Amino acid sequence: MSEVELTRERVEDALFRAGYWLLFAVIMLPIVVVFVTSFQRGEYLTFPPQEFSLRWYAQFFASAEWLSAVRDSIVIGVGASVLSTALGVTGSLAVQRSDSTLARVLPPVILLPLLLPPVVIGLTLLIYFNRVGFGNTYLTIVVAHTLWATPLVFFVMQSVFARFDWDLRDAGMDLGARPSRVFYHVVLPNVRSGVVISAVVAFIVSLQEFIMALFLKSYEVQTVPVLAWTSLQSSLTPLVSVVSAFLVAVSVLGVLVSAALMNIEWLAEQL
Amino acid sequence: MAELSFAWLGERIKRQDAGSVFLIAPLAAFELVFFVVPFLILVRMSLNANADPGFYQPAWTLEAYRAVLASGLYRDLVVFSFELGVVATVIAVSLALFYAYAAYRATGLRKSLLLFSIILPLLTTLVVKTYAWRPLLSPNGVLNDLLVGVGLLGSPVQFAPGMVGTVIGQVYIVFPYAVLSIYSVLSTMDWDTVEAARDLGASRPRSFLEVVVPEALPGIAVATVVSFAWSVGAYAAPSQLGSGAQTTFAMEIESLMLTQFDYPTGAAFSLLMLAAMLVVSLGVMRLLTGSIGGVEGV
Repeated sequence: MSEVELTRERVEDALFRAGYWLLFAVIMLPIVVVFVTSFQRGEYLTFPPQEFSLRWYAQFFASAEWLSAVRDSIVIGVGASVLSTALGVTGSLAVQRSDSTLARVLPPVILLPLLLPPVVIGLTLLIYFNRVGFGNTYLTIVVAHTLWATPLVFFVMQSVFARFDWDLRDAGMDLGARPSRVFYHVVLPNVRSGVVISAVVAFIVSLQEFIMALFLKSYEVQTVPVLAWTSLQSSLTPLVSVVSAFLVAVSVLGVLVSAALMNIEWLAEQL
Repeated sequence: MAELSFAWLGERIKRQDAGSVFLIAPLAAFELVFFVVPFLILVRMSLNANADPGFYQPAWTLEAYRAVLASGLYRDLVVFSFELGVVATVIAVSLALFYAYAAYRATGLRKSLLLFSIILPLLTTLVVKTYAWRPLLSPNGVLNDLLVGVGLLGSPVQFAPGMVGTVIGQVYIVFPYAVLSIYSVLSTMDWDTVEAARDLGASRPRSFLEVVVPEALPGIAVATVVSFAWSVGAYAAPSQLGSGAQTTFAMEIESLMLTQFDYPTGAAFSLLMLAAMLVVSLGVMRLLTGSIGGVEGV
């Protein structure tokens, strides 16, 4: 290889590396802003802050409104996580083992809510729940979030089940165990980490979602992102950074748990 | 007769791995009750006549559609939404192709870091992703300080609220999804093909364009459709980072539904937008993959 070519390769390499590290920095920037500004002292969000304090944290823990939003978010997140994991795991298992028409039609249908603008799903469900006269805000938001989280659970479980050796299950059946026992003792231990990851992802998706939650909120029940959104409409307060820092921390924790259970590369391919 | 059909049904169920019918039923029922039926009700609602604010008149009329199509204001909103969709998609998908390739080529800790930077924003609320840009892009923000300090700008520019802020915010929202769509396809690619092209004398940019890009095309198609669908329907980025000139159809729907309580118009407007988005997405898919085959495996 000539000297000129070698130099050119080196320049290309340097540009390539500089390019993706720059993008990396830009991607992380808003998250850094959130954490840093949550410790600022001033009334109005500024980055970088002039002075630091914990006053916004104190204010957060003293606010009944925020704490009740936290409770609402957790209730809805757990509900959506349990429901979408149950539906997604059973549905995925069925589709894996069956070639009926329903099993072929279902996957594209459950994927659709992910491709529609959330505003449209929010409005569709708002009209629907009004029409049928169903007014429990917790349940309506759980349903909305389950529509989003179920396809994620479903497709993660599809690839988990695809790697499972079904002969093991057949062996269990041949030995005379009931299907439910085979599922519990043979299938579940092999796919457990996939189920846990699905449940964690579903919880996080529900915790962070805000457009559908905005459409379906009521005076009594509103999630953390919705309250953050409405308080941002009046002023750019650092209190939102405190709340956001918690939301980001939960995500980081979720990613780390998932990464510990399975390698992060696999997770990236599933999502 | 009834006995016979029951026996037939029983046989069918047995043949189809008995359990799977009961396993699939809950999910199928859920999608039917909370997705398919609500959607039909949305269509029905769009055919009602609109009355005083907060009420609608049961009817079978295309009045709401006519009102939407005739409105110059709505036309402007739709045009802007599609413009934003195209601009954000082109930027997001180009950057995502580069980033996904970098993640594909990286190894060890570097690979983990790059993938982590994609998954983390994916799992962060839209609220955080948009408002955190405000202190960075405002006239007295970090970016302006930097550009003025370096001498690239004479005086501060208002990036946000404005079009630049809206585009940056929207690209930031869809970028991780675009990267993952492309990455999941690239990760199955055999690096030897690229090596072979290089051994045959192709330069690195050329081997990227002629070997890597065609290989990643199904992923690029999915990334394009997803980014486009979400950017046309953008809500959070334009309302947090835009000025009044950056009003999208999603923001108008929100106001129709939650402030004006005009359900028939909101429903008709949404359905018209969905139809337009579907046509454009199918067109893009066909353009990029030659068929509409590659949609599966998102």
